[in-house]
Amino acid sequence: MFRLFTTPTWFNGWDIVFNLVILVVAILIAAYSWRIYKINKENRFAYFSLAFIMIAISLLFKLSTSGILYFEPIRDTAANVLEPITNPGSTLADILYRVGFFLEMAPMLGGLLLIFLISQKPRERLHKFYEVSQIALFVYLVLLISIISNFKFFVFYLTSTVLLALIVLNYYKNYLNNNNKNTLKVMIAFLFAMFANIFFIFIFVWEGFYFIGQTVLLIGFLGLLTTYTKIMRK
Amino acid sequence: MTSRRSRLELIADILLAIQNKGGKIKPTHLMYKSNLSHKLLSNYLDELMEKEMVRIEEEIMKKREAPQKTIIITDKGLNFLSEFRRMKEFTETFGL
Repeated sequence: MFRLFTTPTWFNGWDIVFNLVILVVAILIAAYSWRIYKINKENRFAYFSLAFIMIAISLLFKLSTSGILYFEPIRDTAANVLEPITNPGSTLADILYRVGFFLEMAPMLGGLLLIFLISQKPRERLHKFYEVSQIALFVYLVLLISIISNFKFFVFYLTSTVLLALIVLNYYKNYLNNNNKNTLKVMIAFLFAMFANIFFIFIFVWEGFYFIGQTVLLIGFLGLLTTYTKIMRK
Repeated sequence: MTSRRSRLELIADILLAIQNKGGKIKPTHLMYKSNLSHKLLSNYLDELMEKEMVRIEEEIMKKREAPQKTIIITDKGLNFLSEFRRMKEFTETFGL
C-alpha cells in the first residue's frame, strides 16, 4: 500500500468512507437549496446550492486522488497512462498529489467563501457590478491561495480555518437574531469543521492529527445532516 | 416597519388561514385573515384553483337565499403548506 506523508497508513481507505459521508451531506443540502431556488427564483438559494456543490466537487477530487493512491491496481493503471507526460524525476504520487490537491483546494475555498458571503447580512449589496467585481476578486484570491498551498499545504487549511471562523461568527449572529436552535446546530457543525482544519494544519507535527481532523470533520457534517433531517421531517 | 410579503408568502398565508379555520373558510373571512384586497385575493384564488390547491363549494344555508361560497383547502394545498414550512425553516436555519 502506498504511503502518503500526511496520512497514517492504517487510516488509508477509512478516510475515503468518511469523505463519502460528507459528500452525501453536501449533495443533500445543495439539492434542497436548488429545489427552493427552482420554486422562488431567489439567487441566494442558487448561490448556497453552488457553495455546497463546490464542496462536493472538492471532496470528489479528494476521493479520486486518495482512491488512486491507496489502491494498487488503480494506481498502476494511472501510472501507465501518465508515464509519457511525467518527468523522470517526479513520481506519480507527486503529480497526482499536486493536481488532486489543487483541484480539491480551489472549489473548497470557493465554496466556503460563498457560504461566508451568503450568511453575511445585509446581502442587499450583493447585486450586479458589486457582486461581479467581488466574485472576480475572490476567484483570483482562491486560485492564488490554491497554487501557493500546493507548496505549503498548511496555507490551504489555515485559509479554510479563517473562512470557517468567519462563517461560525455569522451563524452566531444569526442565532442571536432568530434564537433558532437549528441555527445554533449549524453554527456548531461549522465550528467542528473549523477545528478539523486546525488539526489538519498540524499534520506535519504528527500524522495522527489527520485521523482526528477527519473524525471531527465527519462529526460536523453529521451535525449538518441531523439538522437537515430534522427540517425535512417537519 | 414590516417588509412586503413575497408571492409565495402570500399564497402560504392564504392557505394557512384556510387551514386554521379547519380546512374551509368563507371568502369574506379569508379576505380579513389574509389581509388582502378583494381584487388581489380573487387573483390568487384563481391561481390556487388552477393549481388545485383549493376548491370552491357552494352551500345552500337557507331556502330562498343565494348559495354561499366556501373555500376548501385540498391535499395539494396542505402539501404546499408543509413544503413552505420546510423551506422557511431551511432558510432561517442556514441564514439565507
